[in-house]
Order: sequence, then structure tokens, then C-alpha cells
Amino acid sequence: MNVFALDFPPVNHLFDWPSFLFADNEWVALNKTGLIYLVSLVLTAGLFWAAARRRSLVPTGTQTVVEAGVEFIENNIVMQTIGPDGRRFMPFLTTLFFFVLFSNMFEVIPFIQFPANSRMAIPLLLALVVWAVYHVVGIRAQGFFQYFKSALFPPGVPTFLYVLVVPIELLQIILIRPLSLAIRLWANMVAGHLLLVTFAVLSAALWGTLYVPAVLPFAMLILLTAFEIFVSALQAFIFTILTAVYIGGSLHPEH
Amino acid sequence: MRRLWTAAAVVVAAVALSASAVNAAGETIGSCIFEELEGAQFEGIEGNGFTAVKELKTRYKADDDHAGELIEEFESDLEGCLEAPNPIFPERTEIIWGGLAFVILLALMYWKLFPPVKNLMEQRTQRIQDAIDDADRQRAEAVEVKANYEAELADAKTEAARIVDEAREQAATVRADLQARAEADIAEMRERAAADVEASKRQAIADLQSEVSDIALGAAEAVIGRSLEDPEMQRQLIDDYIARVGADQG
Repeated sequence: MNVFALDFPPVNHLFDWPSFLFADNEWVALNKTGLIYLVSLVLTAGLFWAAARRRSLVPTGTQTVVEAGVEFIENNIVMQTIGPDGRRFMPFLTTLFFFVLFSNMFEVIPFIQFPANSRMAIPLLLALVVWAVYHVVGIRAQGFFQYFKSALFPPGVPTFLYVLVVPIELLQIILIRPLSLAIRLWANMVAGHLLLVTFAVLSAALWGTLYVPAVLPFAMLILLTAFEIFVSALQAFIFTILTAVYIGGSLHPEH
Repeated sequence: MRRLWTAAAVVVAAVALSASAVNAAGETIGSCIFEELEGAQFEGIEGNGFTAVKELKTRYKADDDHAGELIEEFESDLEGCLEAPNPIFPERTEIIWGGLAFVILLALMYWKLFPPVKNLMEQRTQRIQDAIDDADRQRAEAVEVKANYEAELADAKTEAARIVDEAREQAATVRADLQARAEADIAEMRERAAADVEASKRQAIADLQSEVSDIALGAAEAVIGRSLEDPEMQRQLIDDYIARVGADQG
């Protein structure tokens, strides 16, 4: 795409990566996105392994980071949304948080600079996992009929309004929750990547022709890089806390 | 100098950032078309897309329908370079690799990674809680000991005050006794002395009367030169005189 003498790559080509391993196999062809997920797995597992190995009473280094993360998830997510009985979901929520966080963070890692969650695959998969988890938890905690009754018939609503409320609630727990979860993460990462690429391309093009004005988009690029670090962490937090909220709602419908 | 190095590092990092972001933009349409042309193979025509297209067009102009179909098919392949897949549809391979990574991580976390970290944190929490409880218990004990000491001290003070009061009372009693006794002694001594004085006075007066009467008798005898013949009369005269003298003096 050529706009004002700036050669901007087609948007699709910013996200669609060619496979570099098993390229001919339509099931296991590995591209940059898949590789980032594998690296996120290794990073999260490595961090926890290092923290578990040290087992020092007074934490330092990696152990501090991991424990701060776990404590953050416990105090600011689980205890705030589910309560003490939500502690059994800690491994699940911690995995979710760190996995999403690392795969987002590659958005700003030099020479990689691609948020894996700007591809719909994993946001959608994780949203479906969350969807299954909160339904199963709700049905196990309350029983099948009671779960759907408490989910679809919120108390305190005038009877005639149930005509409106029930279909909306049904749509919400079946469709809107997982889709909004997936799309929120995916769209934020897409937007962030587009912003960074736009200012990077602009800086590079202006540097190649006019030199001095390139400073402005370049400054913007640096600012946006910092902002995207924040967004990456924020989206991981939002994904995890919403998961906890949904699980909490299934466990304690009275809240 | 340090700031200069930092600034240089920031610039290098930022250039690397921007450069890699540009490189991270994936393949271009041109390279896609080039690859399509390079890899194209047509039935019954030798060579790849670069050479075969010309032959295909020649055949198409010579009313070869099959060549027309091949051209249309190849054109739609080339258009594929412009149409990337819809970004909202997930890629199957990415689901598989990402899902695999997530499942492995989840299993590892449940099985090996999360419990030791959490246990250690709980142990630490427990240890701190124990230390706090212990400190609380010790403080309670100290408070109790202090209260006991204070109670004992208060008892001792009361006892001391009682003893002092008792001693003071005893001292007052003893003093009052001694004073009373002394006063009684003094009064007795004073009475005795007064009685002695009275007796001495009487004796002295009696002695004096006798002596004065003798002196007066002698004096009268000397003065009048004669002795009174009647001693009884003499005595009467003298006693009257003495009584008069005593009344004058008294």
C-alpha cells in the first residue's frame, strides 16, 4: 500500500506469518506465532522452576518476581472476585496470567516484536477453556438446573422483565462472555501492533528522505512502546480477572 | 560520560526497535506474486510462471479454451496475494501449537511448578504468623508478670504504710504515757515540796515566836529593870505583843 510515498505493508501481512518448520504439514506447520507460544511456555515454566528450586525463606531475584506475581493474583484477583474458596483455581489463573502476559510482551521485544495474541487462535481457545471451566464449576457447585436458573433469572428483577432479561443473560453466558473475552485481548494486541508498525514505518521512511522530521514519529514510537508494555500487562490482568469473576459468579450466584 | 553512553544505548536500542518492527511486517505482496510466478506449473507447458504465461496467452489467442481456464485459475491464485486470510479466523496450526503450549504449561503448573512455590509462601506466612503469635504470647506473659509485680509492690507499700502508722501510733501512746507519768511525778513533787515548805514555815514561825518572846522578855526586863512578879501575867503580855507584831508583819 503506498500512501504519500510511504510504503506501508498490507495489514494482513503484519499478522500472517509464513511457516518455517513442517511448512508442508497443514496441522503442525510452525510459524512465528506458534514459536512465541512455545517460548512463553518455556519462560513461564522456567521462571517457576527457578523460583521453586531456590526455596529460600527470604526471597531474592526470580523468586521475588514469581512470588510477587502469585501474591498479586491471589490478593488482587482471586480474593477480590471469588474469595478464599477460589484458591484452588490459583494454578489455572496463574498459568493464564503468565501465559497471556508473556505472549503479549513479545510485542515490544526487539527483533521479535509481534504479540502472539494479535492472532485469534489462542485468545479464542483460552476463552473457550474459560467458558468450559465456569460452566463446569457452576454446574458442579449448584447442580445443572439451579446453575442455569440462578444465571438466567437474576433476583430482584420484576417478573415481566424476565421476558427481556432471560434471553440476554442466556446470550451472555453462552456467547457474549467468551467472545468478548477473546476479542478484547485480540483487538487490543492488533491495535497495539498496528500502532507500533505505523510509527516505525513512518520513522524509517522519514529518516530515509527528510531526516529531521523523523524525530517526531520516532519519539511517538518510543512512547507507544512504553504504553504497549502497560497494555500487555493490563490485558493479561483483565483476561485473568474476568475469568475469576465468571468462576466466582458460578460458585456464588448470590453475589 | 555515563549519560552519553546511556543516550547512545537508547538511540541504538530505539533504532533496532524501529528497524525490527519494519522487518516484522511479514511478506510483501510483491514477494508473494514473485513466489507464485516462480512456483507455478502448467499442464503441458514447460518452465515456471515467468516463461509459461507468454505461451498460455498465445494459446488463448488461438482459441484454446483450456489455456483460458488455466489463465483464470492462475489469476485467482495471484489475487490470493492481495487477500490475506481474515484476521479474525484462527489459524489451525496456531491453535495447535499455542494450545499445546498452554496445556503443557497448565499440566506442569498443577503437577510440578505451582505447589512448591505456593507451599514455600504458605510456610513463610505460617512462620511469620507463628512468630507474631509467639511475640503476642510473650507480651501477654510479660504484662501478667508486670501486673503481679505491681500488685506485690502495692501490697508491700500498703504493708509498709501500715507498719509506719502502727509505729507512729505506738510512739504517740508511749509519748502520751511518759508525758502523763512525768506530769503526775511533777505534780506529786510539787505537792510534796509545797507541804515541806508549809511545814518548814510553820516550824520557823513557831521557833521564831518562842525566840522572839524570849528576846522580848529579856529586852523588857532590861528596859524596865525589873521582873514581873507574876510569870503568868508576863507570858500574857508577851504573847499579846507577839501577836501584835505577827499581825503587823503578816
